[in-house]
Amino acid sequence: MGKVKQQKERTFLQDLLNFQGSLNGKSKFLDEVRLKGAEEVRNISFPTKKLEDWKFISLRDLYKDSYELASDLDLEVPDISEHYLPESKGARLTFVNGSFSAEHSSTEDIPEEVLIGNIAKLAEEDNELLKKHLNKYVENNFEKDVFSSFNKAFLKDGVFVYVPEGLSVDVPLHLLFVQTDADTNYFTTSRSVVVADKESEVTIVEDHIGLGDNKYFNLPVVEINAEEESYVKHTKIQRDSREAIHIARTAVFVHHHANYESYTITRGAKLSRNEPRISQRDEEVEFTVDGLVLIDGDQVSDTHSVMDHRFSHCESHQLHKCVINGNAHSVFNGKIFVQKDAQKIDSFQENRNLLLSRKGLVNTKPQLEIFADDVVCTHGATVGQLEQDELFYLMSRGLNEQQAREMLIYAFALETIENITVDSVQDLLVDEVHQFTENQLDSKLTA
Amino acid sequence: MLEIKDLHVCVEEDPSEEILKGVNLTINKGEIHAIMGPNGSGKSTLSKVVAGHEAYEVTQGDILYNGESILELEADERAHLGIFLAFQYPVEVPGVTNKNLLRQAYNTIAEEQGREELDPLQFEDHAREQLELVDMKEEFLERSVNAGFSGGEKKRNEIFQMAVLQPKLAFLDETDSGLDIDALKIVANGINELSGEDNATVLVTHYQRILDYVQPDHVHVMIDGKIAKSGDKDLAIKLEEKGYDWLSKDASVL
Repeated sequence: MGKVKQQKERTFLQDLLNFQGSLNGKSKFLDEVRLKGAEEVRNISFPTKKLEDWKFISLRDLYKDSYELASDLDLEVPDISEHYLPESKGARLTFVNGSFSAEHSSTEDIPEEVLIGNIAKLAEEDNELLKKHLNKYVENNFEKDVFSSFNKAFLKDGVFVYVPEGLSVDVPLHLLFVQTDADTNYFTTSRSVVVADKESEVTIVEDHIGLGDNKYFNLPVVEINAEEESYVKHTKIQRDSREAIHIARTAVFVHHHANYESYTITRGAKLSRNEPRISQRDEEVEFTVDGLVLIDGDQVSDTHSVMDHRFSHCESHQLHKCVINGNAHSVFNGKIFVQKDAQKIDSFQENRNLLLSRKGLVNTKPQLEIFADDVVCTHGATVGQLEQDELFYLMSRGLNEQQAREMLIYAFALETIENITVDSVQDLLVDEVHQFTENQLDSKLTA
Repeated sequence: MLEIKDLHVCVEEDPSEEILKGVNLTINKGEIHAIMGPNGSGKSTLSKVVAGHEAYEVTQGDILYNGESILELEADERAHLGIFLAFQYPVEVPGVTNKNLLRQAYNTIAEEQGREELDPLQFEDHAREQLELVDMKEEFLERSVNAGFSGGEKKRNEIFQMAVLQPKLAFLDETDSGLDIDALKIVANGINELSGEDNATVLVTHYQRILDYVQPDHVHVMIDGKIAKSGDKDLAIKLEEKGYDWLSKDASVL
């Protein structure tokens, strides 16, 4: 029986490779990348629950249906301007169902020294910088990973940003990925590559929005290279459709004296798997990989992160908070590696879960693998509920139950969002918390 | 204003254990009452039950506020009527500032009572005035509710919240415990300033100490879930001299 199942799972992504044809012929460079990706997909088996890294979630929701390639479908695009960030009025690249939309993009506020464009166009122009950086970081961080190979097999568009030495970009770059409503299940991939050269500074907001409640498979891959003394701030907001499958990979290199700071907000998708992997490339770096997960109904959210300390003197920080309601299921596995000669590492990791319902489920697994002897690594995981005494305290001050719960959930979530420097993103998250708690009263908690 | 009639209460989780065993108490406008008693006598429970804590179940009797039963009302609805509880152990709410909590609370209550709501600036003026009463600095408004506060600061914050929300009936649950003499005077002063003809205050306390600074009109002693004795201020003094044992024995005879 096991054999039959394995066969089925092995062939699922391979079947989708049949859609590759429609993409070819525009850029020889990308044609070759895709061929290579397809080859990898054929040679890497599809993950099953038997693997340690996949034992908590089932991918059945993904492979039980068939999909078409989003760019083959002729889908209507409604007005999406409500999703623009005011700070990024002139600094936004929009992709609708995986394809660049010039109509919804604007780069007029971005300094002209910055190279920013969509990958399809830059590849047609045979851009050398793109060719130099594309795939370099993801291939290093995700070996033998069928999903990043699949993303490569369908690599046709996405964002490429190169910030030259010494330049600070003071507008946040809004990378907006919109998935439209459709009657047909579709799959879509995107690639974002951000290179911050020496002593540069840039803020990116990676924003995934599903406009309908349809099923689709979204597979974004992000590559970030923070060169010496650069500062990269990265906020990811995942608001995919409630029926969507979101499987994401983020590969980050952090070089000497550089700082990478990321905040990932997970609110959408039926099943999401987020995998940030941060690789320290030299001594004396800092990075932050914080996350906030707000899930309810039958949502499943899984975060598997890797913080790889490979050199001495690194400060790393990961605060991952989850609020779980209904039948939702949250998984966290945070791996901290400290390699043999990486001394004087100061690493903090904590996963805190707020479980609002009896039927919610949390699996959490902090994981340390330390091969150096002069390091400080703290890690912990907690699962708690809203305390009846806390609710009573706020209600006795006159707040109704909705207000009181909202205040407590907001207070819980705040720690992970208060450091986000884009104001409108903060406002948006306050609204998300509000909407999330508004739906909660049916499943009242009795502690 | 408040009439408690033959009130029997148990913990919801354990109905077999009765904590209040028939409490009778009447509180009128303009009065200050002190409820004293040893640990475990039920005086904290009584204040939480009046404020509407869900962990307790009323099995018999009634609580009337201005002539109407409030047993079916949620904690927030009771707060809207003007009932306030200063907590023995105030809850920490990191991430929510005192100002935000109190403004939302003030305006919710104002709306329910048909009074005018305050905009952020008006509210800040109102809150600042009350700060002086408890000798707290303005930065107190911006701090997260009770987070990282010392024991004394938490108690002063309860009085501050009471000052801001202007309740009609306030139960102060052991607000005097754990305070040094200076803080105790500040808290007592706040209580005196806030007491008036139109409201009533109930001090729930273990010690007679605060009664040196706040003059109660009535003193009740609670023992084993009942009011064992009621009297005037002299009763508190007598208790100080003789201890609760004196009444426990008395109560068992009754």
